Amino acid sequence: MTGFLSLLFLLGGLILLLFAPRLGLVPRWRARRLRRERAVTEDGLKHLLLYSLRGQPATQESLAGSLRLSARKLVRLLARMEAKGLIHSTAGHIELQPDGERRAREIVRAHRLWERYLTDELRTPLEKVHSEAERAEHTLSRERLDALEAHLGHPLRDPHGDPIPLANGSITEIQARQLSDCFAGEKIEVVHVEDEPEFLFREILALGLRPGQRLQVLESSPEAVVVWDGERRLRLTLPEAANIHVRSAPDLAVRPPGTIPLDQLPELQPAEVVEIDPEFRGLARRRLLDLGLTPSATVVAELRTPFGDPRAYRVRGTLVALRNDQAEHVWVRPKEARVET
Amino acid sequence: MSPQEVLDHADQLRRGLGVDFRDRMVTSLYEESRRIAARVVRRRGESSWDLDQRIDRIVTSPVWGLPLMLLLLAVVFWITIVGANYPSEWIARLLFSIERVGAALFEALGAPGWLTGLVWHGVWRSLAWVVSVMLPPMAIFFPLFTILEDLGYLPRVAFNLDWLFHKAGAHGKQALSMAMGFGCNAAGVISTRIIDSPRERLIAILTNNFVPCNGRFPTLIMLGMLFVGAAVPPALASVAAAGSVVAVVLIGAVFTFFVSWLLARTVLRGQASAFTLELPPYRRPSVLRILYTSLIDRTAFVLLRAVMISAPAGAVIWILGNIHASGASLAEHVARSLDPFGRALGLDGVILLAYIIAIPANEIVVPTMLMVYTGAGMMTEAGSLEELRRILVDAHGWSLLTAVCLMLFSLLHNPCGTTILTIWKETRSARWTALGALMPLGFAFLVTFLVASAARWLG
Repeated sequence: MTGFLSLLFLLGGLILLLFAPRLGLVPRWRARRLRRERAVTEDGLKHLLLYSLRGQPATQESLAGSLRLSARKLVRLLARMEAKGLIHSTAGHIELQPDGERRAREIVRAHRLWERYLTDELRTPLEKVHSEAERAEHTLSRERLDALEAHLGHPLRDPHGDPIPLANGSITEIQARQLSDCFAGEKIEVVHVEDEPEFLFREILALGLRPGQRLQVLESSPEAVVVWDGERRLRLTLPEAANIHVRSAPDLAVRPPGTIPLDQLPELQPAEVVEIDPEFRGLARRRLLDLGLTPSATVVAELRTPFGDPRAYRVRGTLVALRNDQAEHVWVRPKEARVET
Repeated sequence: MSPQEVLDHADQLRRGLGVDFRDRMVTSLYEESRRIAARVVRRRGESSWDLDQRIDRIVTSPVWGLPLMLLLLAVVFWITIVGANYPSEWIARLLFSIERVGAALFEALGAPGWLTGLVWHGVWRSLAWVVSVMLPPMAIFFPLFTILEDLGYLPRVAFNLDWLFHKAGAHGKQALSMAMGFGCNAAGVISTRIIDSPRERLIAILTNNFVPCNGRFPTLIMLGMLFVGAAVPPALASVAAAGSVVAVVLIGAVFTFFVSWLLARTVLRGQASAFTLELPPYRRPSVLRILYTSLIDRTAFVLLRAVMISAPAGAVIWILGNIHASGASLAEHVARSLDPFGRALGLDGVILLAYIIAIPANEIVVPTMLMVYTGAGMMTEAGSLEELRRILVDAHGWSLLTAVCLMLFSLLHNPCGTTILTIWKETRSARWTALGALMPLGFAFLVTFLVASAARWLG
């Protein structure tokens, strides 16, 4: 009798473990497969949209390459997408249907907003944001995206310079040329850095080039482009220069001479705030501004800890502590007089 | 224009604002307030270097900053421990005599034995224990702490220590919530509100438990005296006992930094973070404010929550100790089934049982343990250290290893019910509450298991 009862319990437990709604192994496994299927579909739609925006026709080959799918799986994917009315494919040529296009624009918006969030709020290094956003884009709901967009202050561009689609799906393409097409002497602003192929992107970042930066072209030849960023000469290979998009700019944005980062300001030396690094954004920047570190404010380094970091600065009559990795983003110009002790 | 057109137009205009819109707004606000201040605020004299700045030079000086801080902390602890002894005894005597009177009254009225036991020897006794152990140290520690806070000294401590916390991915103000945790972890968790960066605040909440609160200190001190103190020559006994307690606190600090570092790099990677710390001018502390914040806001608040949560625990303890089946109490049965697991951690079944029952409040761990060991029907305490040694060492085979593992377990195990409830109230998230409760427990199991295995392997 006891043996029978325990067997019954064991069986019941096993069935529960496998099939319990939502929590059982089988429902979980199915939910995961559905999520993965959705992610692949959405990646496919995104690929088709980006190609059509660039004016290139997307093919089965380009799709298979971008999604890393075998031919068999690709056929199944296309059939599924076609059945849902997302695409229409005819003899190798694939076209987005209105439903598919709307979904694709939502995904692109999620991807680029998330990249912006990672860069601004979490200060994730630029070379890592793409892969993280690639994962997050499938999990963000419409409501969260709207809230995120408002929180980030309705940004127009992602950290690479690509335009972020509006909530209604419209995308304003940026007008830009490749840096490799510029002439010597031209003054330009970087508006976009292509993030694929990845090795080129990393090389460009390693040189210190970012969207928003102003440059002057010094030389332009079929082998290389040499630019001046106000402090250094940078030499770019032609493939690198072709992956950077620029537009004409009135002048170089050079900080006034004698400007130093705040963490290097000598103690008790008054200085005037010139600017906070334009790249230093999000919560961290807002906090600095809220403390009163706005342009033209006077700041004096007064205290440092036994370890040298953080230091305390007097700003607008109050004493605030800043870590060196924050202070290095605040540029100041030392004044003449020193504080008497 | 229709409302929709207005919204669309606003949306259009907003997109033309540019990324530096917020910058310009803050700058203009500051400029405007500066202009107003210049017109209406008059300054007498131009004191360029005042007393505040002189004090700041000393308390943050490379030479004096850290020693001064340690000295102040030691003084606060000393006053708390010495000052709490006598009131604790008085309160205990008063509350326990009420228990006797109440029980006698029930008997005289002819109430059944189980009712008297449950109400007076169960619920009331647990309340009495928690209040008498918890109230006096808190009523001394919190006002002292609030004086330092009101003076403006505490932000300087956060400033001095920030470098260490920065390395661990945490915020210097965590030093303050940790110090508060010595008084009570629940109060420590509440005090993390001063940390305004989401990631660092969560770190401070989740690691506060690694600071032993004053509910756990008596256990640590008792073990230190009974085992570590007894293991060295009598002349060094008190030094060794005190040293072992300090060592436990330091291990707690190491764990705090290690776990902070781990959290910042794993589960909390996706939380935004920014450092700000203002060093306000020094002020003369206001007595009324200190009494209010420390006694009403902190002490009474924590005490009330602890009382609410430990009363049912008292009932459970009494039931476990008084319902007998096949010759032993329920408590003994449960303890016996937990024994193998307890042994693997260098402890025993009774200790684990006491910790399970004492989840609501750590103050009742030792009394519950003694209840089960002596077979009494209610929580008890030993008359003297000698008697305690007889019960623990001679009758139940405690060794130095048991003591060390128990000290570590007491330091690292899950926070008490009050603290868990507070974590939930502060984060409003089941996920962080579960992590805050289970992660320390996991560390406690792991560390005690490793220590016990290593000790046995080395003989």
